Amino acid sequence: MLKYLMKRSGIYLIMIFLTTSAGYFLAVSSLKPAVLEQEKIPRPTPEQVAASFRGLGLDPDLNPWERYIQWLGGIVTRWDWGRSPNGAFVNAEFADRVLVSTRLFIASIILTLVIGVALGVYSAARQYKFQDRVITSYSYLVHILPAPIAYFLVQLGAIGINEAVGERIFFVTGISTPGIDPGWPAFVDMVAHYAVPTFAMTIFGWAGYQIAQRQYLLDNVNADFVRTARAKGLTRNQAIRKHALRVSFIPVAQSIAFTIPAIFTGGFFAEAIFAWPGIGLWSIQAISLQDVNVATATLAYGSVIFAIGAILADFATTLVDPRVRVQ
Amino acid sequence: MSTNITPAERLRDAGLYAPGDAVLSVRDLNVRFNSENGVVHAVRGVDFDLMPGKTLGIVGESGSGKSVTSMAIMGLLPETADITGSVRFKGKELLGLSDKAMCKHRGNDIAMVFQDPLSSLTPVYTVGTQIIEALTVHNPTMSKQAKEARAVDLLRMVGIPSPKDRLKAFPHEFSGGMRQRVMIAIAIANDPRVLIADEPTTALDVTIQAQVLEVLHTAQEETGAAVVMITHDLGVVAGMADDIMVMYAGKPVETGTVEDIYYNPRMPYTLGLLGAVPRVDTATKQSLVPIEGTPPNLALPVTGCSFAARCPLVSDACLHGEPELFPVPGVAVPGVEGQALGHKAACIKANELSNDADAHRIFHAPPKPVSKFDGVARVERDKVLELKDVRKHFPLLKGALIKRRIGTVKAVDGLSFDIREGECVSIVGESGCGKTTTLLEIMEFHPDQVGEVIIGGVSNKVATDHKTKMAMRKEMQMVFQDPTGALDPRFTVYEVLAEPLENLGMPKAAIKKRIMELMKLVGLQPDHVNRFPNQFSGGQRQRIGIARALAVNPKLVVLDEPVSALDVSVQAGVINLLDKLRAELGLSYLMVAHDLSVVRHISDRVAVMYLGKIVETGDVDDVFDNPRHPYTRALLSAIPVPDPNLERTRERIILQGDLPSPLDAPKGCNFATRCPVFAALPAAKQEKCLTLEPPLASEKEGAQDFACFFPDGELDADMLVVHA
Repeated sequence: MLKYLMKRSGIYLIMIFLTTSAGYFLAVSSLKPAVLEQEKIPRPTPEQVAASFRGLGLDPDLNPWERYIQWLGGIVTRWDWGRSPNGAFVNAEFADRVLVSTRLFIASIILTLVIGVALGVYSAARQYKFQDRVITSYSYLVHILPAPIAYFLVQLGAIGINEAVGERIFFVTGISTPGIDPGWPAFVDMVAHYAVPTFAMTIFGWAGYQIAQRQYLLDNVNADFVRTARAKGLTRNQAIRKHALRVSFIPVAQSIAFTIPAIFTGGFFAEAIFAWPGIGLWSIQAISLQDVNVATATLAYGSVIFAIGAILADFATTLVDPRVRVQ
Repeated sequence: MSTNITPAERLRDAGLYAPGDAVLSVRDLNVRFNSENGVVHAVRGVDFDLMPGKTLGIVGESGSGKSVTSMAIMGLLPETADITGSVRFKGKELLGLSDKAMCKHRGNDIAMVFQDPLSSLTPVYTVGTQIIEALTVHNPTMSKQAKEARAVDLLRMVGIPSPKDRLKAFPHEFSGGMRQRVMIAIAIANDPRVLIADEPTTALDVTIQAQVLEVLHTAQEETGAAVVMITHDLGVVAGMADDIMVMYAGKPVETGTVEDIYYNPRMPYTLGLLGAVPRVDTATKQSLVPIEGTPPNLALPVTGCSFAARCPLVSDACLHGEPELFPVPGVAVPGVEGQALGHKAACIKANELSNDADAHRIFHAPPKPVSKFDGVARVERDKVLELKDVRKHFPLLKGALIKRRIGTVKAVDGLSFDIREGECVSIVGESGCGKTTTLLEIMEFHPDQVGEVIIGGVSNKVATDHKTKMAMRKEMQMVFQDPTGALDPRFTVYEVLAEPLENLGMPKAAIKKRIMELMKLVGLQPDHVNRFPNQFSGGQRQRIGIARALAVNPKLVVLDEPVSALDVSVQAGVINLLDKLRAELGLSYLMVAHDLSVVRHISDRVAVMYLGKIVETGDVDDVFDNPRHPYTRALLSAIPVPDPNLERTRERIILQGDLPSPLDAPKGCNFATRCPVFAALPAAKQEKCLTLEPPLASEKEGAQDFACFFPDGELDADMLVVHA
């Protein structure tokens, strides 16, 4: 197993290197930070801009290949992912951004997964009954609703609660209140900031898992092996729980591992609306600020997360399905 | 027979008169399903009593309600099914029990073995877990060790080698036959009183079918359970069953002892069904009995006899009121000791059908067609297809980036045979023996192939240009196994048949004329050409497939399992058609089939394949009446015959194990690992089989060729079974 994981990791490392390199070439040939510098007052001369960029390792006069070699050399020799046009170090901000994103999404990822799969099973067991119709209709409705609107609705709800109580219980934006006392007050403050985005992302996030789990389980509910289990003397529900569920979870486990990276890197709306400056927001900002190194770094991060997701998917599949167990 | 009895009264009477010692009594069982086309009345009044230790065979074609009956008894139908009547286990009513209450009986008192062993076991649990689960459900106090020991015993009982290690294996590590053994082990785990087997061997090869039937036999002996055997194959139940119930359109149409049904059928449907099955044990010079038409649509109310539309004896009286099952005069009446059913038939003309009723005469079976080639000696006819030492080896590779060759699968290994004008050659063998690969190699027709394929005088070695290949395709056409899958559902029959003709550049008017000819030729109504395939029945679709193959006037038609997807009664019609076409058009056939009875009926010559090689080939009567190779002997003995007396007394060779993987093909004779003759040989002679490859040769001029050193050797006693 370990050998297999090592082999997979090796393959993914090569893929990450290729996508990141391709991303760098794309960024370096399309993003031109010098254009933005021209809007500054007083307007700097092109020579001044070039000189300041040269100091940051962003020499606009070099061709893409030379820039690539310079950038790759920095990473390989010093683990230095370069600097932004404003002089900030990518390495310094990167860790903060990743931490913010992780904190924002981790709870809702776990909650959506658990609730989505549970509701999928629940609704499949009651196919076409009232509960199933409500749950599944809700999921389809949520699929139609654009995320920004959904998040705004939750924010409005939280503000409504605050006003009704007459006290600020929930914060609808921000990570924490500056200058809060450590210990218990800090914890309460964190929960108050954390509750609204997590709630919003959870109730609008489980739809996909619910629909998939319901569908895969229904595909298996009438499978021959469930009939065999019932013929042994298991009740219908026992047979479904013991036999159909595990088989139906195989494709869901695959999809989970692949949706996690999408959330981490594509949570742009959530980060913007709830004002949690994480990695998704950063990647969008980097493009509008013509920031080659940050854009490439966020892309590399996305690739790494994706590779981890893919390995997790393999791992989860081998865990639940003996047919793909590796020697 | 009075008609003014209400169902409630019938039930009460039935309950009163049901034999007290029956383990399972079914009375007036009715099942209705809601469908898009209205309420489908799938089972319409099934009555039977099952005595302890006895075997009841339920025989019927697809849609006759036999599986639904078994599922209704088990309480496994969906909740939406409307089930009425009575199912009693030892006097206790089972219908209407909740799922939970029913679970006390399922798997404990009544157990079931299903049709498809490949999908009937949960893929993610070990075989041991699944057997132990069946024990745990009904014996919660049993210790873990005791359950494991019992599971090992069960696996040993159903004949799985090294059962202790196999407990930890997953279903995908077992072959189909092995999985069906596991299913039987699960079913008999709690010593059930009733064992229902729903087409338990339909999905298996004949040799494996013989093994599994043997295991079922053992299981019945060990547990003393009564068995309900559901099947469409009249041969399978002939040797096993005590009583038979023939079902048609959701209703039993004839019941009786196995002798009553096979030797004295009184319902035209039963008679036709028996006549429709080709026999493997006799050289027939007769056509099969075709039953025209299709079963009625059960979404519509049945007003007359359900078989009337297909019955050759139909009269006005048959169309008014559906006949009940009533006793056939002159035989024992129900209730007489030792007889669970008594001979009853649902036909108002049962009396007219005497003991010697001739199905061929009644169903107007066509005379055996005579081909213009029949009088010509084989050597004087032209060769339409010749194979010379054709080989197809697949490399077995391992490794992700750099592939290493770790072995070779010899799917086809040096095949040579020829087909002459007007004859039918069949290739038979278990799945995996290379039959299909052989067909694919012939269809491939490429110069780079190993070995030479000559079709109509054109060799694949010279056919490099498109034109020669097109000419070859015109000579040879193919009919596929699954008629539904082989026809484009979006094409009308006209378009299906016009396509090959357009391909040849035939003018439009000529195409139209030719299509009308073809429709008549295969027995379809010419005005149906604008219909889509889904508007035809399975048998009619296969006729369309045959018409398509014949469109371009080929000399040779390759038939890949042409009737295996069809019901027995429909199959007979298609076989008769193939026979007729061969005679009228002077066609040659190359057929692949697993049903040796069909092969015997239709073929002139036969080639038996084992692991990519022909082990015996010759005239079909020579090979079937006097098989020389032990594999042919085993294969033929594995086929059940629809004749109860013969079936009970004949000696059977039960081969051990499955077809070995072509990877581990032995050095000497391929068959040595499973050979019943080899097993009985002294070690000195065994050496020869293990080191030398027996050549394919005949013993005397004109007899069949076979590849065995000890053709008439004694058979190993362990592999011989007689049920007395």
